[in-house]
Amino acid sequence: MGGSPGGRIDRGQHEVEDWERLADAINGALGAKGLQSTDQHRRAIESLAEYRDLSYYERWVAATEKLLVEKGVLTSDEIDERAAEIDRRWNGP
Amino acid sequence: MTFETGDRVRVLPAQKPGHVRTPGYLKGKAGWIESVIGAFPNPEELAYGLSGLPERPLYRVGFRQIDLWDDYRGPAEDYLYADIYEHWLEPER
Repeated sequence: MGGSPGGRIDRGQHEVEDWERLADAINGALGAKGLQSTDQHRRAIESLAEYRDLSYYERWVAATEKLLVEKGVLTSDEIDERAAEIDRRWNGP
Repeated sequence: MTFETGDRVRVLPAQKPGHVRTPGYLKGKAGWIESVIGAFPNPEELAYGLSGLPERPLYRVGFRQIDLWDDYRGPAEDYLYADIYEHWLEPER
């Protein structure tokens, strides 16, 4: 994986979760708006320090966040505040 | 286009920092031009928000699997095809 031995490949299927569909949709929307391209996204994915610890779509959302902050579309604080707000709404205070 | 279908080529063993579309396991390996795909903006520059121009020729390059892996035990006619940009190729002598 990432050019290094990654062990056995899990060939099992898994259900796509809603947040994964959303991650895909957001990427498509950002691309259509000209805010992100596939090559930029790939570069951001490769540069994630935690690359090996993340699942496929976890990498997608982490890279998208990184690009949006890099481009000044959102700040890390705005994203963290919004995530905390959603967490409170979902799980209670 | 520098190369034509059937030309022998070698992938440059270069270590380039940043985003590249050339797999590490093909660097320094010899193969042949399977087909000429066309010219496209350079993804190594698109990855950083640049124009990627001028467009770079892209080739489908064929490799023998036994030339890629030290411990490959499959048939000699097992091949691998990869899309490689011209600036990653040199003529094989």
